[in-house]
Amino acid sequence: MKKLLAIPAYLWAVVCLLIIPVTFIRNDTFAEQLATLSFMKVHPVYSGGELNRKYQQDSLTISVNKPVSATLLGSRKQQLQVTFSQKGHLPGIIDQTIDYDFDANPDFKVTINTASGETQLTPLVSDVRSCLASSKVKEDWVIRVNLDKK
Amino acid sequence: MKKPRVYATEGSIWKSILLTFPMILLILLFTAGGPPDLSTPEKSIAFLTTFFFLITLFFLILYTGKTDRYRAIGFVTLALFFALTFIVNLIKARGSMTFSQENLLACEIPFCHIVTTMIIIPAVITNSIIFPGSIIGGFASIASMLVIVIGVSLALGRGFCSWGCFYGGWDDGTSRLAHKPRIKKVNPVFRWFSFAVLLVIALISAMTLNPAYCDWLCPFKTVTEFEKVTSFSILMKTIVFLSLFVALVIILPVLTGKRFQCTTLCPMGALLSLTNKINAFDVRINKENCSSCEKCVKACPTLSLTAEDMTAGRPSITCMKCGKCIDACTKSAIHYHIKGTPNNKNYSWARNLFLYPAFLLLVVFLGGTMQSGIILLINLIKTGNLIY
Repeated sequence: MKKLLAIPAYLWAVVCLLIIPVTFIRNDTFAEQLATLSFMKVHPVYSGGELNRKYQQDSLTISVNKPVSATLLGSRKQQLQVTFSQKGHLPGIIDQTIDYDFDANPDFKVTINTASGETQLTPLVSDVRSCLASSKVKEDWVIRVNLDKK
Repeated sequence: MKKPRVYATEGSIWKSILLTFPMILLILLFTAGGPPDLSTPEKSIAFLTTFFFLITLFFLILYTGKTDRYRAIGFVTLALFFALTFIVNLIKARGSMTFSQENLLACEIPFCHIVTTMIIIPAVITNSIIFPGSIIGGFASIASMLVIVIGVSLALGRGFCSWGCFYGGWDDGTSRLAHKPRIKKVNPVFRWFSFAVLLVIALISAMTLNPAYCDWLCPFKTVTEFEKVTSFSILMKTIVFLSLFVALVIILPVLTGKRFQCTTLCPMGALLSLTNKINAFDVRINKENCSSCEKCVKACPTLSLTAEDMTAGRPSITCMKCGKCIDACTKSAIHYHIKGTPNNKNYSWARNLFLYPAFLLLVVFLGGTMQSGIILLINLIKTGNLIY
């Protein structure tokens, strides 16, 4: 009986032996299949979240994403991503007033020196807290703003 | 007293060559990925050195019957060459070892296997991955690394920590620096610390949606990449991970002869200990042969063997299957074993069936890394510049 039970054990050992080469040889295929699973997407805190509205202001295209919760439970903290883009080069200074909730009232004013990266954010309503990140990303300029949930 | 021969290949050149032959083909496949590229003298030297280095290690493991002695040479080489090539590639791509806000916002951070421990709970709750990396494509994408983690967990369990982890070689190497450790007795309770770290880190990461271990603790950022210091909080994080590297990867391993970072801090090791039941291989103690000399207890680099474990006939779940206890035992009382098969029988079969996937894992990670590293070193000698 013990000898019989040992057969599947040895078979599993042989399968374990095969798993290593297969894992690496077929890594791209398995990774593509894994990437199709529903949970395989970067959390909005890192990706910036869904686009809410895109509009043109002067020569700039401004993309305002939906605010995303910055923690899992019970926190009022949110993050908002705004992307500034322009055909060709970005202007030396980006100076814009943003209405992120589209209630026709400006929520914050942002001034960015695209050469030095210096960013000044002035909240115009109480739920806007501070600038979390500001950086050139490829050809665009991206800012992330800390918000309090309304 | 001379250790009796237990393995069929031990001391037999022909049997060892015969069993090395399949590994030669696998090494060729995984180091060259087809016909070897010998187009330049640098590439030829790199390929041939790596190829013969790996074959020699495997042959010696079979011929001498010593597993850990030759595994460790490959494993430490992996850690050193991985750090060298990773850092040089980063400097070529980004200009420094640091990553910037741009890399974070663009989700360009390479995914490392340790992050797996922090993304599981948030993935279940939020249906997404809390890491600023790319899901697929590019270097070390999330999907690609998760496939490796799943495959390795299935095939070797915690054996990954001694045969494939490209960080583990650091404290494995430093733990061997002192001929005799200054601190001879380390309380085995330390082996459970990594489980506490896993629990705390997994919960904090889920609550904050931030991979907390990577952000604050990971000592191996010292030899890979870290955030550019632009604020006080980033400075604090830098001090924390540098201190942990000095303490857990250098000082404590040298003083104790134990792999302190892997034993006490690494949450990935703890997770692999929990999934270790699935794979086919473990280490067993033959109590009939055991003379209770406790050489294995002293040798174990992860505090996985105590007198109680020896009575139970197996090391604790923290065992990394490095083979150091097996090498240390003069009575051949410890051996690799295939779960579900009779204990104390077929030592050679069990050892060989374990050695092929385990050594192949080392080959997969070391093969390419070592070749790239050798090319860098040749260019350093030729041009005086590492980043050409």
